Amino acid sequence: MTDAKQAIFAAIRKTLPAPAPAPTIAAELSQLRARINATRPDRVSGPADEVFLERVQSPGVAATAERINSFDEFPAAVMRYAVRHNLGLDIALQPHPDLATLNWSGCQTHDHIGTDETLAVGLALGGIAETGSLIFHSSQISPTLFAFLPLHHIVAIPYKNIWPWMEDYVASFAGKSPPRNVNFVTGASGTTDIEGALVRGAHGPGWLHIVVVGSPGL
Amino acid sequence: MNAFQGRVTAALADPTLKTAIDRTTNTARSKRAAAIAAWPEFAQARELGRDMKDHVIANMEYYLTMFEANAVKTGAKIHWARTGQEACEIVVGICKAAKAKSVTRSKSMLGEEIGLPHALEAAGIERVETDLAEHIIQLAGETPSHIIWPALHKTREQVGELFRAHHTDPGELATVEEMVSSARRNLREKFMAADVGISGANFLIADTGAICTVTNEGNAELTTTPPRVHIVTAGIEKLVPSMVEAMTMLRLLVRSATGAELTQYTTFHAGPKQPGDVDGPEEFHIVLVDAGRTTMLAEGLAEMLRCLRCGACMNHCVVYRQIGGHAYGATYPGPMGSVITPSLDGLETSQDLPRACTLNGQCHEVCPVAIPLPTLIRGWRTKAWVQGYEPLHTAWALRIWEFFALRPVLYQLASNLALRIMPLFAKGGWISKMPLAGGWTRYRDMPIPQGGSFLAQYKKRQAAK
Amino acid sequence: MKNNPPRVALFATCLVDAMRPQIGFAALALLEQVNCLVEVPMGQTCCGQPALNSGDQDGTRKIAKHNIKLLAGFDHVVVPSGSCAATIKKDYPDLFETDPVWHAKAVDLANRTYELLSYMSDIWGWRPKNVSCATTATYHDSCSGLRSLNVQAQPRAMLASVAGLEMRPLEGANVCCGFGGTFCVKYPDISNAIVAEKAAAINATGADLLLGGDLGCLMNMAGKLHRDGSKIRAFHAAEILAGMGDGPAIGETA
Ligand code: SF4
Repeated sequence: MTDAKQAIFAAIRKTLPAPAPAPTIAAELSQLRARINATRPDRVSGPADEVFLERVQSPGVAATAERINSFDEFPAAVMRYAVRHNLGLDIALQPHPDLATLNWSGCQTHDHIGTDETLAVGLALGGIAETGSLIFHSSQISPTLFAFLPLHHIVAIPYKNIWPWMEDYVASFAGKSPPRNVNFVTGASGTTDIEGALVRGAHGPGWLHIVVVGSPGL
Repeated sequence: MNAFQGRVTAALADPTLKTAIDRTTNTARSKRAAAIAAWPEFAQARELGRDMKDHVIANMEYYLTMFEANAVKTGAKIHWARTGQEACEIVVGICKAAKAKSVTRSKSMLGEEIGLPHALEAAGIERVETDLAEHIIQLAGETPSHIIWPALHKTREQVGELFRAHHTDPGELATVEEMVSSARRNLREKFMAADVGISGANFLIADTGAICTVTNEGNAELTTTPPRVHIVTAGIEKLVPSMVEAMTMLRLLVRSATGAELTQYTTFHAGPKQPGDVDGPEEFHIVLVDAGRTTMLAEGLAEMLRCLRCGACMNHCVVYRQIGGHAYGATYPGPMGSVITPSLDGLETSQDLPRACTLNGQCHEVCPVAIPLPTLIRGWRTKAWVQGYEPLHTAWALRIWEFFALRPVLYQLASNLALRIMPLFAKGGWISKMPLAGGWTRYRDMPIPQGGSFLAQYKKRQAAK
Repeated sequence: MKNNPPRVALFATCLVDAMRPQIGFAALALLEQVNCLVEVPMGQTCCGQPALNSGDQDGTRKIAKHNIKLLAGFDHVVVPSGSCAATIKKDYPDLFETDPVWHAKAVDLANRTYELLSYMSDIWGWRPKNVSCATTATYHDSCSGLRSLNVQAQPRAMLASVAGLEMRPLEGANVCCGFGGTFCVKYPDISNAIVAEKAAAINATGADLLLGGDLGCLMNMAGKLHRDGSKIRAFHAAEILAGMGDGPAIGETA
């Protein structure tokens, strides 16, 4: 095994010189990084939360979204959605303390996700305005499969946790050890594998509903 | 007729293939065009993407070492494989050690390249392809014909037939929606029941040791989270220094591939389940595969190692769009395949691929990391010429041509003689059949020359002045 | 441009020389309109592209050296073909990467070499005056000119000044016609499938004329159109611009 590694490195060395000193490589890299800002699609012009709301509902992402004033209003928003889609109120509730403390009376909730779950309700770590992406870090309070198994996924996201650009998200976790999974979720699952025709709900959720909580004015 | 031309003939005679290719690639091209039009900074981003990849490739040893060290910190187990066969042995070995009966696989071109599907089957392990297109291919017993849409050669009618034959309770299958939903139902339990999940990697993040996968269906995460073991196979060229560079590459990759701004699911996987985690695998293995990458480096194909596997070059290739992916007879079709395949499989058996190209340059134009594909393709032609693979008749025709081209007086004599003969084969200005011109006149007419050569006529005119 | 008229060599290309001298004369007519001192060096044959694209670099280098010597001393070298001009401008220098002496000469030639249509427009800002051609036409962008030399807007701008000429957009004008030099005879089946699609797009414009800037591509498309019984006629754009649009089109006898 280490033989293989050595052989590969030797093969690289045959063509390339020995690696430059780390500071040289780092200097070259920082020059490259300095060019990033000028290459980003110039689109995050307004406040991040507003751009985010617009992006997630744009045809490319095609999620549905709404804004509520505070977390207390979230269960009602979930119930409205469930009624609208005829879903019943048996909810897989992401085991997040901020969700558990809300008043879910009127619904049945469970804190695990089943293989054929109809409706899961969760809380994203944050979002990215540029792309309209939700971000999840896997953990005890954020199991990965919540974002992948249900047919309908309703996700709350505090407006303050919306970063303008993908790089802004990256910067805020730089140097920290990564969770097992970082998931960027950008719209519902889809496939174009049969004749290029877009169909939602390939393996992951067929519907994604995003609820932005709070706004700068409040 | 050689093997390549045989496949081409079959492809061109296939009554549904062209329709199927057009349905997907036409959409892909117009969506990409719209995405690029909405991104005025694309040209700069493309140069940056190119330079970032070049930086990593030039410092491959440094970043591989960094990646390994950081991946180990996340609890990943790193394996190195010189060849595809070695990689397959490692993967099968891990599966056996885990007493795996069933593995799920999320689409990975490297997996196809190294023959992993076959290796798993040979080891008696049930393999479940979870990407919808790969699922279709698996049911059909075929190989991918495109690197982004492996089942692009299949029409909806053909997919319907396959599902009717293989799915439990497939339902009506009258629409693509019904087909997708039948696949969803049929694969669901397989995801949850698998012992091992195998994925590829779009990027290896050197400074965290994470690997990145992108899918639109969500099958990668369903493949890698429920099973006890997650195995990643990745080419050693997939490195990026950090998440920051991954973001630039993602912008380029996704727009070029599908015209979307980001895939629905972009996931960074770092190691196995962590303390407290509710889900995730107990073991996380990364197999770093050379399988010809260092050879490409040595062969002057370093630029090819930038490739993000976005598929834009084949969507825009006039040849690919006529003959489809299978005619290339290799894992990677289209322009990028015509560069990679001679390196992986040897030039002698694949010499037709670089030759069957008009060198029109559109692939280079759309490539998100500016790989000079036509130049690299022509490079293979040079090697083929030097190694004597050029068919004798064309090689000699060319040498005779060169002989005259270097002797202008003889050239004019010969040319004006030919110009006098050609009209003998013509009818009303056009030649529809002429000795030595069958390649041209089989399908097109050839205009007869206007008379004496330009130089001869010009000389006459000057003399008359 | 300096006051002294430049000494310009017309490099006609082997295809124009043999198949359609009228394009050469059209080029001469255009160059004379901007007062160039045009010469046609008699030692010219071919730019060497067939050898280069077949992988014969040594053979190409010999031809390149021949042309570098032949074209020394001219202020400008003008070529009525994007692909041959690109061979001289882009490929010649690359061929001599390891030979500093010839590399310098190749770069010098490359810097003096121009594709005809872009030369007329970019260098001279020329537009046709009193040229008319009352018909409809569509334009195909040949790949090398388009991608290597940025020839795209210039021919259209000049053709817009031809009285009576109505230009119709061609769907996929920037997509290869399937010619590809030796490609079209080495892989005729694929080439035919490609040019069939191109011919369909050309027919769909309903235009009377097909115009372009490269004779190879034009012969390919015109040959396909003719085989399939289309009435569309093909000219090099230079012919129309030089007022020769009333003469025989490609494949027509005078
Ligand atoms: S060569 Fe370029 S265009 Fe083709 S798949 Fe690779 S990155 Fe994409």
